Amino acid sequence: MSRTEFQQQLEQLRRDVYEMGTLVCQRLRQALEAFETNDDSLAADVITGDGEINERYLELEQDCVELFALQQPVAGDLRFVASSFKILTDLERIGDLAVNLGEYTRQTEYRRYSDIDIAYIGEQTIDMVERAMAAYKRSDVTSAREIAAADDDIDTLCEGASELVVRDLLEIETGVELTENTDTLLEDVSRMLLTIRDLERVGDHAVNIAARTLYMVDHDDELIY
Amino acid sequence: MQYYRDLMGTDAQHEPPQSSSSDSSDTGAQTDGRMVSESDDRSRSDSIALESRNLDVYYGDDQALRSIDMQIPEGQVTALIGPSGCGKSTFLRSINRMNDLIDVARVDGDLYFQGKNVYDEDVDPVALRRKIGMVFQKPNPFPKSIRDNVAYGLRVQGKDDGDVDEKVRTALERAALLEEVEDQLDSSGLDLSGGQQQRLCIARAIAPDPEVILMDEPASALDPVATSKIEDLIEDLSKEYTVVIVTHNMQQAARISDKTAVFLTGGELVEFDDTNKIFENPEHDRVEDYITGKFG
Repeated sequence: MSRTEFQQQLEQLRRDVYEMGTLVCQRLRQALEAFETNDDSLAADVITGDGEINERYLELEQDCVELFALQQPVAGDLRFVASSFKILTDLERIGDLAVNLGEYTRQTEYRRYSDIDIAYIGEQTIDMVERAMAAYKRSDVTSAREIAAADDDIDTLCEGASELVVRDLLEIETGVELTENTDTLLEDVSRMLLTIRDLERVGDHAVNIAARTLYMVDHDDELIY
Repeated sequence: MQYYRDLMGTDAQHEPPQSSSSDSSDTGAQTDGRMVSESDDRSRSDSIALESRNLDVYYGDDQALRSIDMQIPEGQVTALIGPSGCGKSTFLRSINRMNDLIDVARVDGDLYFQGKNVYDEDVDPVALRRKIGMVFQKPNPFPKSIRDNVAYGLRVQGKDDGDVDEKVRTALERAALLEEVEDQLDSSGLDLSGGQQQRLCIARAIAPDPEVILMDEPASALDPVATSKIEDLIEDLSKEYTVVIVTHNMQQAARISDKTAVFLTGGELVEFDDTNKIFENPEHDRVEDYITGKFG
């Protein structure tokens, strides 16, 4: 294979990884919609759709392995393939977190915490992932750094939401309010805490993508460690 | 002062030029004129084995090297890479004055080996080459026995005293060849495989116990198995010797070297740094373009 073809392969990998990012964000958005509307059918679509993400992940991972084995990339090319390889893992994990949201939706019969704006937090995290993938696509280190900074806002939102849940639980435990079946209550509390935690993790994966982009472009590992 | 006597021939009694010592002290080169003794630890260190300063080489009117400044560390493997005609082999041959053998070659500037400019008039090139051995691209054993091939270097150096056999075996062992040829030391070196012949040539180069080994694409004519053995051997040799290797195989440079120097067209040394730095994040776009295949 000529070096020109190799460069074309690298650009194709960049497009493929970006498209996988787009697919993952679509799934996450669907999962949030299903969660918000309590749409079991849409949640089931998200869960079964994860197979497509996993398949795409394995294909692109294999593409990276072949580039390592057959082209032995160095310098900027090496950093690009290595970063893409790592970003693929982050995207696959975000897909898994979307599946989690779908499962929480199917397991939940009613919502206790309607005052926690999961939709808003979720949209913020999706926005981070989309911006991180755009930074990857454009090799934009400025955007990559901004995404890392934005994660603090997500963390603050998630901490606030978790605190609401815990505070509510403490009030129940002290007997101020105990109107529901305890098992159902605990399941609902757990699922809400897990939902918040998963969305916070989506933000973390977005930061990982930004960190790998920064390394890819500038050989700067500041955000990785 | 034994080193300078060696370098200048056995009768020479000259002192090293004062200017050489004082100049090189600024750049970390060994400057006190002492010979590195046989017992000195030559494992990886920060010491400088070779240093070129403002080195130009011309072939007639053509300039092959331009103002090369480089400090080659002692006890490490330094790889010289670059496209054909960039001057990397010229630089290698300048180190032990092999270019003296080319009539139209002319060298300006300085090249210090342990504080002594090897281009000083009082330096004997033959004595220099005992201290700085060389292995060539194509294995070139003499049409002699394996034993005589290795003993040759000792005889040239006048070290063919009673323990030649022991020194031959030691050199073959260091070259990772003894086990394979132990029972056929009197067979012709030409009967060996290409990879074995190259290791025989390495044994011949290290028999006189040099300080530096120069290698000019030593594995380019060998199959992958023989290449792998040579690469393993180079790593072993670097524990005792300073190794400078020219290679067109960039992955080989990445695998075996501690430092990499990138020469580009026009005889210019564009970048010289730790090998992992060169192959992961080179400073210069021209180097990046060359090592990623976007050159030209």
